[in-house]
Amino acid sequence: MSVSAALSDELYLQVVTFLYREAYLLDHWKLEEWLSLLTDDALYLMPVRVTEWGIESQGGVRELYHFEENKSSLTLRIKRLQTQFAWGENPPPRTRRFIGGVLVRKGDRDHELEVTSSLLFLRNRGDSPDLSILSAERQDILRITPDGLRLARRLILLDHTVPSLESLFIL
Amino acid sequence: MAARTRSKHRLADGTPLRELVRVEEGRIAARVFTDPEIYQLELERIFLRCWLAVAHESEIPHPGDYVTRRMGEDPVIVVRDREGQIHVLLNSCTHRGAEVCRVSRGNAREFVCPYHGYRFHLDGELAGAPAHEWAYDQQFDRKAFTLHRARVGTYGGLIFATWDVSAPPLEEYLGDMRWYLDLLLKRTEGGVEVVGAPHRWIIEANWKTGADNFIGDGLHTFMTHRYAIELGVLPNDPLIGWFGWHISVGRGHGVAIVGAPERIPLPPYLGLPQELWPLLERALTDAQRRILERTATVHGTVFPNLSLLNTTTIATEEGMPRVPFLTLRVWIPLGPHRMEILSWFLVEKEGPEWYKEASRKNYERTFGLTGTFEEDDADIWVSLTRANRGAFARKYHVFNYEMGLHRQPRPRTEWPGPGEAYWGDYCEANQRTFWAQWRRLMTEDRG
Ligand SMILES: [Fe+2]
Repeated sequence: MSVSAALSDELYLQVVTFLYREAYLLDHWKLEEWLSLLTDDALYLMPVRVTEWGIESQGGVRELYHFEENKSSLTLRIKRLQTQFAWGENPPPRTRRFIGGVLVRKGDRDHELEVTSSLLFLRNRGDSPDLSILSAERQDILRITPDGLRLARRLILLDHTVPSLESLFIL
Repeated sequence: MAARTRSKHRLADGTPLRELVRVEEGRIAARVFTDPEIYQLELERIFLRCWLAVAHESEIPHPGDYVTRRMGEDPVIVVRDREGQIHVLLNSCTHRGAEVCRVSRGNAREFVCPYHGYRFHLDGELAGAPAHEWAYDQQFDRKAFTLHRARVGTYGGLIFATWDVSAPPLEEYLGDMRWYLDLLLKRTEGGVEVVGAPHRWIIEANWKTGADNFIGDGLHTFMTHRYAIELGVLPNDPLIGWFGWHISVGRGHGVAIVGAPERIPLPPYLGLPQELWPLLERALTDAQRRILERTATVHGTVFPNLSLLNTTTIATEEGMPRVPFLTLRVWIPLGPHRMEILSWFLVEKEGPEWYKEASRKNYERTFGLTGTFEEDDADIWVSLTRANRGAFARKYHVFNYEMGLHRQPRPRTEWPGPGEAYWGDYCEANQRTFWAQWRRLMTEDRG
């Protein structure tokens, strides 16, 4: 599959399809396949957010993270799930990722796209009637490679300062 | 009079509180983890009386800096005034109770209530209100409407507060636990500092599940954190958590200092970077230094709801240096079946940057909301809370707290630190100490 760096309907469709596919893989626990969509130098970040005065402080505390991950640490997280002893994720939760508001623009570097999207994440565990709900903005850098689009960097700005759930191995 | 005193120690159905916590026999009723009536009593008899950890000085370094926290369910502002003094104020206006501070951290000259404009100095004193000469006919008594102020104390940079005017001074409250806190908070001259803002999240578990685990649960590692064994990052040995000292410090506090069997090499001082070793040797007593020299993990709880963990964790990515991290956390009660976990990551100020970064990542990836170890614990504490809410469990289910009940503490010649020290962290002496203090406070006769 070849992708051109010029912004076009076709490119937009490819970006949206990439995001949907990624969400599908995560929701269906196809985690190694999901990992293969990340570049080897990928960063996966979710900073702690804090309620402060002023909109300028709303970008999250970039000193402490919920996720400060790279491909190697994500690989370990996923290996953990395969042990059957990751109690926080076993029995596996049922999750649903809704993605919307996808905006695409050319990145600072050639062959990179800056993609902003909104995520609504619903999760149900065990026989609880309740859903855990998280919502977030994602600021991604997608790289155009000979194999298609790959995720090079994801910054997740969670809308929660105090999320309510007992486990979260990936968002 | 006697009947009234007795009824204070009984629940509405007539059950004496004392019967639920039979530490001498190693029996604790499931009910103490889930009963709404007990929870309400805890808020008054424990959270209104104890010294509670609320912040660390490094979170509010400058005049005017503040963070908002909770003491029990009550929201407070922890603020440093112009003179550098720290105050802990109820975040509720003395006029009609609106929150006078609406964010969780910042810097302020004063706190202004958004409802009617009452203004408060950083020490909580009322500075004024709009048009008060007219509104209060010149009878406005500023001194009578100071924000409620808790007593404040600090130790090793940690800020504690209590509502109880007759509580002993903080130093006395911490007692011998100070010796162990020094091992973590004062092991270098500069001490430790909080990085960023704490992780905060809510789980559907009783607050005591965390305190009870951290104070002395060495046994759970082998099963709860079994994934780490399966991946080969912890040894597959049912005794992995045994090789350490389990110390009931008194006043409900407890700590465990865990190493490894002789044959297993450990990096000196939990794997702290070599640059810090001379600082350790200067700041600690010889006995403290020797203890840390062959330690892999320190875990403990300061009664009621401050827990600590310093551990040489597994490397969380390939090629990453194995360095320890330090977390302190409070288990904040939000109902009988719910708590907020507020977890700080702290690191030695003098530490080299590479160490601070590796330590932070190891913490973030193993503890905190998304931490692989934390997830295991939290999920099980939620299940514990869920499983014991029914009528049968509440009435008849009693937990086994017998581990180490017949073991004797070792003599001072074997353990140089204070407290009753048991060899082997598969022991529940610390948990029994916690529950004995809980029972003492819950059944104390006070006005
Ligand atoms: Fe644990």
